[in-house]
Amino acid sequence: MSQSKDLGPLIAAEAGDSRNRAITSAINGVTARRWLGYGAVYVVLTAIAIVFMIPLLWMFATSLKSRSEIFAWPPSWIPEQPLWSNYAMAFEKYPLARFMMNTSVLVIFNIIGELLAVPLIAYGFARLNFPFKRVLFILMLSTMMIPGQIKLIPLYSIYSRLGLVNTYVPLVLPAFFGNPFFIFLMVQYIRTIPRDLDEAARIDGAGTWTILYRIILPLCKPVLAVMIVFTFLWVWNDFLQPLIYLNDFYSYPISVGLAFFRGRYSVEWNLFMAATLVSILPVLVLYFFAQRHLIGGIASLGLKG
Amino acid sequence: MATATWRTAKPQARREAIEGYISLLPWMIGFVGFTAIPLAASVYLGFTQWNIIEPPQWIGLDNYVRMFTRDPLFWQALKVTLGFVALSLPLKLVFGLGLALLLNLKIPGMNFFRTVFYIPAVISGVAVSLMWMWLLQPDTGVVNTMLYFLGIQGPNWFWDPNWALPSVAMMSVWKVGGSAVIYLAGLQNIPAHLYEAAQIDGAGRWARFWRITLPLLTPTLFFQLIIEMIDSFKVFTEAFVITQGGPLKATYFYLLYFYEEAFQNFNMGYASALALVLTIIILLATVFVNYTSKRWVFYESE
Amino acid sequence: MRIYGRMAALALLSVALLTVTSLGVLAQEPVTIEWWTVASEEFDEEVQRALVEKFNSEHTDVQVNMTLLPSSGYDERMQTTLGAGQGAPDVALFWITNWYPQALDLTELIENDPDIDPDMYLPGFWNTRVVWEDKIIGLPLGVGANFVMYNKDMFDAAGVEYPDPDWTPEDYNRLVAELANAEQRVWGGDRPRGPYRAIWYNMGARLYADDSSTTEGYLNSPESVAAYQWLWDLVNTNGTPTPADLEVLGTEGTGPVDLFLADRLAMATLNQGHMLNAMAEGKNFGIVPEPHIPGNTRHVNAWSLTASIWAGTEHPEAAWKWLKYWAGPEGQRFLMENGNLIPSIPSVLEEWEGAETEYGQAFLDVLELEQVAAWDNEHPCKATVLRAVEDIWDLINLNQIAREDIPATLDGLVPAADAALQECVGRLGG
Repeated sequence: MSQSKDLGPLIAAEAGDSRNRAITSAINGVTARRWLGYGAVYVVLTAIAIVFMIPLLWMFATSLKSRSEIFAWPPSWIPEQPLWSNYAMAFEKYPLARFMMNTSVLVIFNIIGELLAVPLIAYGFARLNFPFKRVLFILMLSTMMIPGQIKLIPLYSIYSRLGLVNTYVPLVLPAFFGNPFFIFLMVQYIRTIPRDLDEAARIDGAGTWTILYRIILPLCKPVLAVMIVFTFLWVWNDFLQPLIYLNDFYSYPISVGLAFFRGRYSVEWNLFMAATLVSILPVLVLYFFAQRHLIGGIASLGLKG
Repeated sequence: MATATWRTAKPQARREAIEGYISLLPWMIGFVGFTAIPLAASVYLGFTQWNIIEPPQWIGLDNYVRMFTRDPLFWQALKVTLGFVALSLPLKLVFGLGLALLLNLKIPGMNFFRTVFYIPAVISGVAVSLMWMWLLQPDTGVVNTMLYFLGIQGPNWFWDPNWALPSVAMMSVWKVGGSAVIYLAGLQNIPAHLYEAAQIDGAGRWARFWRITLPLLTPTLFFQLIIEMIDSFKVFTEAFVITQGGPLKATYFYLLYFYEEAFQNFNMGYASALALVLTIIILLATVFVNYTSKRWVFYESE
Repeated sequence: MRIYGRMAALALLSVALLTVTSLGVLAQEPVTIEWWTVASEEFDEEVQRALVEKFNSEHTDVQVNMTLLPSSGYDERMQTTLGAGQGAPDVALFWITNWYPQALDLTELIENDPDIDPDMYLPGFWNTRVVWEDKIIGLPLGVGANFVMYNKDMFDAAGVEYPDPDWTPEDYNRLVAELANAEQRVWGGDRPRGPYRAIWYNMGARLYADDSSTTEGYLNSPESVAAYQWLWDLVNTNGTPTPADLEVLGTEGTGPVDLFLADRLAMATLNQGHMLNAMAEGKNFGIVPEPHIPGNTRHVNAWSLTASIWAGTEHPEAAWKWLKYWAGPEGQRFLMENGNLIPSIPSVLEEWEGAETEYGQAFLDVLELEQVAAWDNEHPCKATVLRAVEDIWDLINLNQIAREDIPATLDGLVPAADAALQECVGRLGG
């Protein structure tokens, strides 16, 4: 602690973050160089941040313009007269709040599904031994390689026979079978966790499932955070699946709702951008709060081998 | 072989195998119920001619014969896609890792930066494509305007046959904020004691990166390599929205061809064959990477 | 024996009674029809919802359930259900030719129905949009067409005379050159969206033989060469926006209307939906048909939406009730009065308010022209063949080909075009 204190404001004063201490003590001593180094980091970060912010700023500017001003030349960054009413109009035109609520329901169920299925499956692949494991693993990976559109018609046929069209089931059920992307990610992650931990627990009398849920899972916090963030993002943006399976206008998610701003012949770009901007805010807010959990795991435990 | 080991296996191993299958159960149910059938259906359709509307007609290997012997578009699409994979894959891996290392620094305000760098991953579909067209517009776009002030005459980007593919690659690199998140998670799994030990040995930052961070991150790198490779092979939206495969078929990606055949040309049989061939190509590439992985991927647990 | 006869009579009577009562019960139980549609400039969500409510309140035996889909996803949704052979709607827009085999043949229904008569509709649209292989597979809903819209204010500012409806492709190029102002990023006119549309047809150019046998002598005919060279000349006026200029914020062909509304494009090939946009923005504009060559038949890219019943429907009679309401005089009048539909039924079209305006009249004149039957989706093989010869289009637009190289390049593309044509015709028919 004392060490981080004298390093000033640059270092997060996280107790027990031994890795931080390792890095900081490496640059300890040469104060001027340290400040210079961190200054450079900020310059680089800010420069990249500006590049990455441009689209958001541009969308924001477009959302406040009148239809003809968007295409005026020379193009302007700041609208002559910001039309805040575009936002009101976008919400008036279609029930965007309702659409976002629907998406939220889908997101929650998808996250629950992934959280239940993925750790279990990944643990099996990473830690347990059984015949045909490698073949099954390759098979699972290969389902990611098939172009999704090819499965559209047969899959629709199945759900239709089961009478599940115009319900959220086809949009939620797959999560409970585990997404191969997350399974693969978690397998890789579990494989980097030292086996000594399992062995120690087993000697203490813990069974397979206890080891998974008591030992492994708590160490997988960053990867679970990734799962939540990505599931949120993917479900939020998924257009094709809800389009194919839903009939009821008021059950549409926001991805489908946004598409209504694009007409058959033209697009009201200002309203479209306003609606898009509003719709991505929840994703960014979630990410802002979730990301602190991306930082953690073994590194912060200061685990000694 | 498998059954023989099964019978002779010790009870403990047998119990582990049962537990293994139990753990896989959710995935297996999903696979059998909702993936295997569509998969089998599309393999079957690859041997047929099907316009989606009327019943499919069996034509044997005709689709495959046509693909490999007299379909210049297939080869063009394959060439363009392989070129894209070769161009974008290394860029995405390097930039993603670099960004993650930067974001892993624990300095004040990092939460803000992490969120900002995630923005490109969040905006999807039409909006992001429009934004890029606007940025890269040859005369009025931001990029060429900036180049102009540096005394450089910028290219025509998407609208130049030689620059269209690199432009799409640039777009995909810009989205590395998403993959940086995964690297970030991987970085958390590197035990701190290793850094401490290395430091006691007097290793510098650079040495620590090469001797600890990189080797211990190889499982994540391996994951990223496979995933980004699959993604690159399946590049579609950018071409579909922005370039429509042009100009002069410079961005005529494999999946664009597949999509045109399936949904615009009503040639679902041929499209199914195309999809199967792509799947096999990606599978072969994955198996190859997996084969080499024994030499460079390091698992602490094994 | 007599008793048996009585018993039989009694049995018959009771069966008859049962039938009648059960029929009565059935009649009271309304049939629900699934109807899929899109929201568009001509009919938005509210108008269509109002139409359904009106129909449902007027009918006790049939109730309609509306599913509104975004136009950008409508094709995928329809194709998935038609491909799966289940879950398709009873009534929907069948606007892609390839779907026609799954549309119910309406011939008998129309013959037995005094309310609907083929002669009620504009013949050009009836013949191109709903008659298919001797069957009637739908009713044409509304009309649409491409034409050239010109911005009168920009013409006045440049001191250029408005285009004459009788103009030629050369006139178009000349006006483009006169109207363009490179410094202010103002263009004279746009380039055609693709070859072998109205202007190509007006110049006598065809992609392949009428019997779909070959492209030799069509793709490389003197007329085709002339059409491509005209495009080359247009590109070289430097008064027309490049694809980069057009697509900068408007993919999917929305660029021309966006630039037109921003007063940066003096002439643009647009449609009635764009005309509505321009009216809403208060633009001072006029309408002329696409240029032609005197002596040749004059063409227009025109369309109507094909409103059809799915052949797999369980309630064809009930579906027909809704279809004829929606795409018949009642529905089209309702959508015209409460929305922006331009009806395909002359008796209703007479009441169209827009007809009194100058551009409305010009639009109606455009509808009289010969239709380019093979517009975008009309014949799937056209798109396939065009894909095979797209390079020359790109080369001209990129200005990477010399004018005198065009004939030889077209000759060189014939084998690839023929191969594509034969493959497609072998699969989908001529």
